[in-house]
Amino acid sequence: MAGISQTAPRRSPLMRLGGRILAYSLVWAWAAFTIASMVWVVLSAFKSKREVLRSGFRLPSEANWENFGTAWTVGKLGAYFPNSLILVTVSVVIVLVVSAPAAYVLSRAKFRGRETLTNVFVLGMAIPIPMLFIPVFSVLAWLRLNDSLTGVSLVFVAISIPFTVYLLTGFFSSLPKELESAAILDGCTDFQVFRYVMLPMAGPGLATAGILNFIWLWNEYQLSLVLLNSPDNRTLPLGLYALQNAMQYTNNWPGLFAGVTIIIVPTIIVYAILSERMISGMTMGAVK
Amino acid sequence: MIRGRMIAGFLTPAILVYGFFFLLPTLFTFYYSLFDWSGFGEEKTFVGLQNYVRLWNDYVFWLSLWNTVMILLVGGVFIMGLAFLYTILINSGIWGKKFFRFIFFLPNIVSVVALSAMWAYIYNPRIGLLNTAFASVGLEGLSKTLWTSPDNIFWAMLAALIWVFTGFFLILIMAGVDKIPADMYEAADLAGASLWQKFRLITVPMTWDVLTISFVIWVINAIKMFEFPFAFGLLQVPQQLYTLGIYLYVMGFGKREPIYQLGYATAIGVVMLVLAFVMIVVIRRLMRTDSLEF
Repeated sequence: MAGISQTAPRRSPLMRLGGRILAYSLVWAWAAFTIASMVWVVLSAFKSKREVLRSGFRLPSEANWENFGTAWTVGKLGAYFPNSLILVTVSVVIVLVVSAPAAYVLSRAKFRGRETLTNVFVLGMAIPIPMLFIPVFSVLAWLRLNDSLTGVSLVFVAISIPFTVYLLTGFFSSLPKELESAAILDGCTDFQVFRYVMLPMAGPGLATAGILNFIWLWNEYQLSLVLLNSPDNRTLPLGLYALQNAMQYTNNWPGLFAGVTIIIVPTIIVYAILSERMISGMTMGAVK
Repeated sequence: MIRGRMIAGFLTPAILVYGFFFLLPTLFTFYYSLFDWSGFGEEKTFVGLQNYVRLWNDYVFWLSLWNTVMILLVGGVFIMGLAFLYTILINSGIWGKKFFRFIFFLPNIVSVVALSAMWAYIYNPRIGLLNTAFASVGLEGLSKTLWTSPDNIFWAMLAALIWVFTGFFLILIMAGVDKIPADMYEAADLAGASLWQKFRLITVPMTWDVLTISFVIWVINAIKMFEFPFAFGLLQVPQQLYTLGIYLYVMGFGKREPIYQLGYATAIGVVMLVLAFVMIVVIRRLMRTDSLEF
């Protein structure tokens, strides 16, 4: 690793040791805070209401699984979980189906206005989402899709297109051109080249785009808040928000923490398995 | 050569969805901002630039703009400073680089509402982790602090925000630093360069592009800031936490009681967009001239 503080010959071993200790303590201070606060929230989900108020830093005396039951049934997260899962899965699939061909053409075909069109897609990443609250609401109302998961999934697809097209365009551009030429010489049609040669090679890129979009949409909260009114249609973030607001009156902290655990565990599992791929996908566009 | 018909066929679905549910609504915002419009399904009355005149005289709008700018500047300085510092520390050859990168980025994949619940617990005056920790090490005075009182709540929120975003920019900057060829540092070592010289003459110029992109991404994120302060403030978001995005939401949809000043709210959206684009242009300008010095 090209370390920045790779030691210059002049530094004494003592200074080097001091620097090492300083680096470890600063980095660990941050990491320990992050780990401790997250673990503590999950642990506290197993405490009783009274225990959370009194016990300070003591571990839960026994595992109170009923907090999860409360969040799942009374807090209705059990009903919102499938809402989120279906909404997000469908949206991610559509985003990929719609963006991959567009990105392929934008990176490989030659036509007038190609660069302008690419820029128009990328531009979406700079548009502040709150600006869309009112006009998107009226577009959905006009289509009679307001307060419906179908409507929200269309909006989810639209807001995910800019990053996905950007990521996949970069990915297709990085693939070698020779295979395409060879396939055409072998008599493949344009579409066959895309379907049987380029798409399989773009698999890792599609997977990265799919995972990142899944996490973002799973956590998406502002547009859902504006577009979904009836409690039956709530997604998990909206359900958790309702739970948190109710908590102000019920003081049911462990119930809230159980809700937090239910919503964060799926994304943390995905992240734990695929963090390297997700991080490289995030940074791919920024570092050329 | 890919034929025209296939180009059109491949682009159309993306253009349709993106155009209809993203670009068109963005353009509508400009149009709506010229109307007095008191509810979906109500008639719109054309009022020209009146909504913008009203914004100019609206104390709460300036407050929201001020808070947004504070997030952008104060938050930005801390986030970029910490992200760069921790990139260097984690890259200094200590054990567990991938592990630390994993932990630092972690808040960015967790639901914002879950994060705000966690921070509510950290800051809670009676049972909160912060005050409990202070009490357990004997700092009785500090342990009575009301972190979410009107005076403190904005800074408490900003501290949490810095914690979230530092990890995001850390992975961007680290990816940039990792691209620097190792032999540049070796050559500098042979020439007897100090740590500071290596930082100023190799690390900063070699990561200039990544830094520019990071600043642009941060500006966009700061100007559209809505989710975290909104969830942090709960049902009755206090004005101390208002950002432009939250004020837009409050004017459009209200807190408990609907307000429905839709034209006025969209005018705030236009301000956000203009602000974002102006800032992006300014950053690109500034960073470009500076980079010529190297």
